[in-house]
Amino acid sequence: MLQAKRGMAVFSNCQSIGGAALKGYLKYFGGKLIWFLITLIFAFLLNFILPRLMPGDPVAIITQRVVQGMTSQTGIQKVYEEYATLFGTNRPMHEQFFLYVRNLFQGNLGTSFSQYPRPVADILKSSLGWTLALQLPAILVGWMIGNTLGALAAYVKKGFDKVLLPASIFLSNLPAFGMAVILLVIFGVQLKWFPTSGGYGFDMIPKFSWDFIKSVILHYQLPFWSIVTIAIGGQAIGMRSMSIYELNADYVKFARFLGIKDRKIIGYVFRNAMLPQITGLALSIGTMVGGALVAETIFSYPGLGSTILTAVMGQDYPMISAATLLITLMVLVTTFLIEILYGVIDPRIKAAQTD
Amino acid sequence: MKKRLIFILSLVIVFSLLLASCTPAANVEEPVGEEPAVEEPAEEEPAAAGVDLDAADIAASLPRDETLYIAGLQWSALVGWNPYASTNNNAMGVSAGSSARVPIWETPYMYNMINGEEIPLLADGDYTWNDAMTEITFTIKEAAMWSDGTPVTADDVAYTWATNVKYETTAGVGYGEYIETVEALDPQTVVVKAKLDADGNAVNPLLVKAYISSEYVVQKAWTEALEERAGFDAAALKEDPAEDFVASGPYTKFYNDDQKVVFVRDDNYWGQDDSMWGSLPVPKYLAHTIYADNNAGFLALKAGEVDVSQQFNANVQDLWLVDGLPISTWMDDAPYGLTASLPTAYYNLKSFGLDNVAVRKAIAMAVDYDTIIANAMTNQSPTFAQVPRSVMNPTAGEQALYDQAAVADLQWVGSDIEGANALLDEAGIVDSDGDGWRDIDGQKLSYNAVCPNGWSDWQAAMEIVAAAGEEIGIEITTLYPEWGVYQTVFVDGEQTEYDIFMVWSDGAGPTQPWGRVRQIMSSEFAGTQGNWNGNWGGYVNPRIDEIIAEIPATADQARLIELYTEATEIYLTDIPSFSLMYRPDQFYTVNETVWTNYPAADDGRNIPPMNLLDGYSIAGLYGLELVP
Repeated sequence: MLQAKRGMAVFSNCQSIGGAALKGYLKYFGGKLIWFLITLIFAFLLNFILPRLMPGDPVAIITQRVVQGMTSQTGIQKVYEEYATLFGTNRPMHEQFFLYVRNLFQGNLGTSFSQYPRPVADILKSSLGWTLALQLPAILVGWMIGNTLGALAAYVKKGFDKVLLPASIFLSNLPAFGMAVILLVIFGVQLKWFPTSGGYGFDMIPKFSWDFIKSVILHYQLPFWSIVTIAIGGQAIGMRSMSIYELNADYVKFARFLGIKDRKIIGYVFRNAMLPQITGLALSIGTMVGGALVAETIFSYPGLGSTILTAVMGQDYPMISAATLLITLMVLVTTFLIEILYGVIDPRIKAAQTD
Repeated sequence: MKKRLIFILSLVIVFSLLLASCTPAANVEEPVGEEPAVEEPAEEEPAAAGVDLDAADIAASLPRDETLYIAGLQWSALVGWNPYASTNNNAMGVSAGSSARVPIWETPYMYNMINGEEIPLLADGDYTWNDAMTEITFTIKEAAMWSDGTPVTADDVAYTWATNVKYETTAGVGYGEYIETVEALDPQTVVVKAKLDADGNAVNPLLVKAYISSEYVVQKAWTEALEERAGFDAAALKEDPAEDFVASGPYTKFYNDDQKVVFVRDDNYWGQDDSMWGSLPVPKYLAHTIYADNNAGFLALKAGEVDVSQQFNANVQDLWLVDGLPISTWMDDAPYGLTASLPTAYYNLKSFGLDNVAVRKAIAMAVDYDTIIANAMTNQSPTFAQVPRSVMNPTAGEQALYDQAAVADLQWVGSDIEGANALLDEAGIVDSDGDGWRDIDGQKLSYNAVCPNGWSDWQAAMEIVAAAGEEIGIEITTLYPEWGVYQTVFVDGEQTEYDIFMVWSDGAGPTQPWGRVRQIMSSEFAGTQGNWNGNWGGYVNPRIDEIIAEIPATADQARLIELYTEATEIYLTDIPSFSLMYRPDQFYTVNETVWTNYPAADDGRNIPPMNLLDGYSIAGLYGLELVP
C-alpha cells in the first residue's frame, strides 16, 4: 500500500505549484543553502589543514632537487631556508592559513611547490579542460547506455536479461585499472588500432587542422571507453533492480486496474526508478575531477587526475588545496542542484524536509 | 507497445553512441585555445633567439626524419628557461652539474665521463693552472656567438659568476666557498681565482676546476635585462621563466605544453664554425613526450616513437633478442651500459650493535649481490667479481686510481654465510638465549632495512639484505616509507628510525672519485641536519678526513694512487656502508628505426652514453645518420 501511496504522490506533483507551496519551497531552498555554506566552510578548513598534516617536508623535496651536485653544507642549508621562507612553510600554521585565505579572495590560488614557479591556477587551467572533455561525456554516455540497458533488461527480460545481467556484473566488478590495461594491451599494443599514450600524436603540434583533430579523436577512444564500459555495468545493474522493483509495485497494478494506458504507466515507473540513478550521476559528475586518474595514468592522458597525484607525492600543499577545493565545490554544487531539482521532481522530499 | 518502447530505448542508445563519437570535438577546443602559444615563440624567435620562423613554418606534425625523440628526462610540464633558477623543470634543456646538459646553454668545457677529459666548448683550447694552483686561465673561442649574433666574451663569464653570487643561485652558493672571483682579463681571457685558506693554498682546486665544465655561461646584456625586470630582487630573478632568453647553444625553444617539449635547431648556431663542430647537429628538432610513467615510455620505445630512452628498461636485451626490434644499448652484452654510481646501504652507527665492525662486516659479507644484480638490475650492472668493490666506479679512469692488489684481501664478493657466521662467532656475538637471533649483552640484534616505496630495484635489494640477515642470525625487517617521508628522515643526522638504509652515490664528474670518497666517509657531514651531502650513517675517522683534505691539492699521480688506495682500505675495513650494485649515470637505450650511428662502446669515438645532451655526449648529435 505504501508503494501505491508513493506512486500517487508522484501522480499529483504537477498540481502542487501554489502560493503556499512556493513558500515551502523557498524555506526548503534556504535550509539547503545554509547547510551548503556550513559544509563548504568545514571542507575548506580541512582542505587547508589535512595536506599539511602529512608526514614529510615539501621544502626538503625541492631542496633535494635543487642542490644536486652542491657540496657545501652551509650552501644547502641556505637553499633550504630560502625556499622555506618563500613558501611560508616556516611560519605558524594559522598565519599560513590567513595568507592563503587572503590570496584566495584576491583570486590567487598560490604558486605550486612541485612545479615552482608555475601558478596553481595556470596548472589547473591547462589540465582541467582535458579532464572535463574526457570525463563528462564518458560519465554521461556510460550513464545513458547503462540506464537504458538496465531498463531494457527489466522490461524485456528473457534472453536479453540473461546476457546483460552477468555481463554487467562482470564489467562493474572489473577494476577501472584492469579495464584500462586490457584495452591498452588488446587495442593499443596487440592490434595497434589506437595509440597507447598522450592526448594527441607524439609527432604533432597542436594546430587547428583535420590531421590534428583526427589524432585527438584517435587518442580519445581508449581512455574514453575504459571509463564508459566500467560505468555501464554499474548503472545497468542499479537501473534493472530499481525498474523491476517499481514494475511490481502496487501502484502499477492499481494503475492497470484503473485501465491507465501501459505507456503512461511505464513513464511513471521509469521516473521513479530514475531518482537514485540521478543522485549517482550527480555524484559522479561532482567527483569526476579526481576520478580519471586511472585512465590518465595508464594512457598518459593529460588531465587533472595525474596532476593531483603528482601534487600529493610532492606534498605540493597549494596544488592539493586548490584541487580539493575544486572537487569540494563541484560535489557541493552538483548535490545542491540535485537536491533542489529533487524538490521539483519529487514533492515528497520537499514535503518531508519542510514539515 | 513493448516494441515501440524498445525502439525508443534503442534510439537513446544510438544517440548516446553518437554523442560519444562527437565528444572529441569538445576536446579539441583545449589545444586550439592554446594555439597562440604556438605562434608566440614563432613571433618572438627572430628577435630573441635568432631563429627565423613564422607560424606557417610550424607544421601540424614534426617531420619524423628531422626529429630526435628522447624519453626519460622530462616527467611533467616544463616551467621555464631561466639558467639562474634550478626549479625550471626544463629537464631536456637546462641541467647544470657534473656533465652539464648543453643543447641550449653552454659551459666553457664539456666533461667526458669515459676518460675524465674536459673538452673545450665555449673555451678555446685547454685551461691552465698557475704554479700555486690558485688560478685557472682560459680563453673564449673567437667564433662563439649568442643567438642574437653578438660575441660571447670573457665579460659574460665574469658577469655570470657575479650574478650567481649576488643573487645566491645554486651555483653561487655551491661554489661560493671555493671560488673568490671570476675576472675578464681582456674580451677573450677569463681567470677563475680560488678562495684561499690560511696557508695561501686554494681551499679546493678540484671544485674550482669543476666550475668551468659544470656551470653555464649567460649573456651579460640579457642578464642585466632580467635583473631590471626582477627589480634586482633575488627571489623574483630566480622565479622568472625567462621566455625571452638569449643563449649560445645549438637549440632553442619551439613548443611545449603538458604533453611534450620540442626544441628547434638554431641554424645560425656558432658551433658550425670549423673551430668547433664544423657542422650543425643533425636533427632539426629535439622532442620529448611527457609520459605518465616508465611503462608508457617503454611502450613508446617499442613502438618506435622514442629514439633515445633514458629509462631503466628491465631485461632490455629482450627488446632485440626476443622482440627482434632494432634497439640497442651502449654495449651488446651485460651490463649493457656504462655504470658510474654505487647505490649504497648505509649503517646507522647509532643503532645498537651497528657500531660493532664485526656486525657490519658480517651483514655485508652475507648479502647475495649476484642475485641483486641479476634480479633487481636484470644484469645491467657488473658483478662484484667483475669489478671488485672499492670507492671507485667501474670506469677505467677511476679504476686506475687505486692499487687493487693492495686491498684484494678485503674485497668480499658476497654470499659468504659461512665466513660471516665465523666472524660473528669469533667476535663473541652469539645467540646466548636460544631464540634463534644473535645478541650482544643479552640484547637481540634486530634492524630495519629501509628504502623509498616504489623504488622497485632498491626494494628488491633490501629484501635480499634482510634474507642475508636471517642466514646469520641477525633479524632484519624491511621498511618502505613513501619518498616524501623517507627523505626527511635519512637527511637528519640524529635520526634513529632507520638502521640500514639506501642512498645513491655520486656518479662520474670532474671532482670524482674524490667527491665520492668525501660523500661516503667525510666526518664534516656526520650528524648534520638537512644533510643531502653524504656520510648518512655518521662515520667519523680523522685519518680519512686528512686524506679527503689532501687529494684535491695533489697533482702527483703516484701520491694520488697511494691516497685513494688508503681510502679504499679504510672503507673496506671499517665498512661504514656497502654498495649493493653499480648503476649508470643515465640509462641509455636507442632505437634505430629512424636514426642510426648512435654513440656505442666499441665505435672508437669516445662519446659517453649520456642521452646525447650531457657534457661531451652532445657530440653524438653531430654523427647521427638517417636509416637508409
